[in-house]
Amino acid sequence: MSWIREDESNLIEKLSANILKAGPMPKHVAFIMDGNRRYARKRQVERQEGHTQGFDKLAETLRWCLNLSIHEVTVYAFSIENFKRSKDEVDGLMELAKQKFIRLLEEQENLEKHGVCIRVLGDLTLLPLDLQQHIARAVVATRTHNKCFLNVCFAYTSRHEIANAVREMAWGVEQGLIKSSDVSEALLSRCLYSSNSPNPDLLIRTSGEVRLSDFLLWQTSHSCLVFQSVLWPEYSFWNLCDAILQYQLNHRPLQKARDQHREGQALQQHEADRACVADLLQHHGNGKPLDAQRRQEALLNYTASREERVQNFLGALQHKRDSFLTDLTSQAALA
Amino acid sequence: MAIVYEFVWQVLHVLLHIHRTLITWFRLRLRNWNGQLWSRALTALIVPIALSFPNQKNIVPAPGKRVGRRYRWGADGKSLEKLPDHIGLLIAEEEPRYTDIANLVVWCMAVGISYVSVYDNYGVFRRNNSRLMDEILKQQQELLDLEGSKQLSVEFLNNGTDKQDQQVLSCQSVLKVLSPEDGKLRIVQAAQQLCRAVEQREKTSKDINVTMLDSLLRESKSTPDPDLVLKFGPVESTLGFLPWHIRLTEFISLPSHVDVSYEDLFSALQRYASCEQRLGK
Repeated sequence: MSWIREDESNLIEKLSANILKAGPMPKHVAFIMDGNRRYARKRQVERQEGHTQGFDKLAETLRWCLNLSIHEVTVYAFSIENFKRSKDEVDGLMELAKQKFIRLLEEQENLEKHGVCIRVLGDLTLLPLDLQQHIARAVVATRTHNKCFLNVCFAYTSRHEIANAVREMAWGVEQGLIKSSDVSEALLSRCLYSSNSPNPDLLIRTSGEVRLSDFLLWQTSHSCLVFQSVLWPEYSFWNLCDAILQYQLNHRPLQKARDQHREGQALQQHEADRACVADLLQHHGNGKPLDAQRRQEALLNYTASREERVQNFLGALQHKRDSFLTDLTSQAALA
Repeated sequence: MAIVYEFVWQVLHVLLHIHRTLITWFRLRLRNWNGQLWSRALTALIVPIALSFPNQKNIVPAPGKRVGRRYRWGADGKSLEKLPDHIGLLIAEEEPRYTDIANLVVWCMAVGISYVSVYDNYGVFRRNNSRLMDEILKQQQELLDLEGSKQLSVEFLNNGTDKQDQQVLSCQSVLKVLSPEDGKLRIVQAAQQLCRAVEQREKTSKDINVTMLDSLLRESKSTPDPDLVLKFGPVESTLGFLPWHIRLTEFISLPSHVDVSYEDLFSALQRYASCEQRLGK
């Protein structure tokens, strides 16, 4: 089954989409696609069939999102915790993923037509090498597309992502690219796997569970959370509309909370810069207190140089990540 | 055409707001009606002389009744299949009512929950923690009839800059008062600490992993992650509550903390007791 379905919506669905779009719409929606195995039990089919149907539902949901002008979707496909499942099930899931990524490469034209960019977030080194190579090829092939974005979290947990971001910043310090005082909330966000995406506006979890299960914990701190009891393979367009309505009802208070948080962040950064400048002046000054204007100049200079350092570091980090993927693709080509 | 869609959208949202308001109104009416019935029964059967005319809040039951309630709440806690070790009370409403929050804290303690955290995303509780403490001590007296020596232990989750009073003697529960600074900011501070260690060549970047970060973010080895967060208010979000610690936390929403009852709390705990965590398996 394909990754992108053609538009099959009927008149009522089209009308409802247009009505919803009159209000504020989320630009980025995240899904925890839970309930495949319970669905399989309910329908009395094999677990693997439940997962396959789950993938088909993903393709359908992507189409609905496109119709609703939601251009970025992140999904939780496989958690690092899921490695604890039986070997049969894990192997089955790896095989399913491999099939789907191979299929994706076959559909390149279609993907180009819709401008779909696929990203895979997670610790890919935990996956079998052949799957890593397929993923790398798919990501590299769709890298330049920019009409819509699908982020698949595979071999992912939020804690690993945050720890990895801290590790990358420490690497930056080791390489002399940044100082430890440059570490900030904004910089940490730029070091996450999801650094190329804005934070999700809306997080939907299906199957009735009401927890986050280590998914995008950092990124969803001010997102609208919607827990729905429907099982993922049974998800419908109306469930999605219901979630979006919830988002619209929460939009204003969340916007306010987000703005407030951003202001707090900016203030903290400003204070941190001031403290660094004061420190520097103390060490390099000649004991005479500087006037306010000089101090202000020093602060501006410091901020500019910090931002330059950070940009260089982020460039180096992006290069490191790109090289990892291109190495995998050249390995695949040689194989 | 766009104008038509917009009009329909406005109508839809007006209807939704009316729907919400009606539900809130019905719930309050039902509560007051029940309350009046119950308080009338109380005055008639148990308290020989009515202390005041039935108004749910003003009735002060006899001391024996308070002790009875404490045991009942304790028994309720034991009757549940599982009780959270650490409960978070997330107040997502503009005007916090200290009495209601104090009630919630006292009920949680009475039911047997060891760690209780209180959070709001404006940092109001942090700034007014002495007022919150006074309210909690007062409610402890009223609801549980606990003497001064058996007060709960209070820890303020702060960055160790200033030590708050710790009124402990035999601590039954630990209360934490949290604000957004305990969330992302705390993680950033831990990251800065690790990067400084790397700068000073005490560690390498390869040493940094989930376990190391977790131990830095854990206030003490014994403090568990929140198992359950009760969210009060209409906003459907965690609003910055401890992002690192909530990876497996169950979230149960309650409409408001204003005039919240013990039954509301207990039914949320019952719901928690029935959920199943597969932990990835």
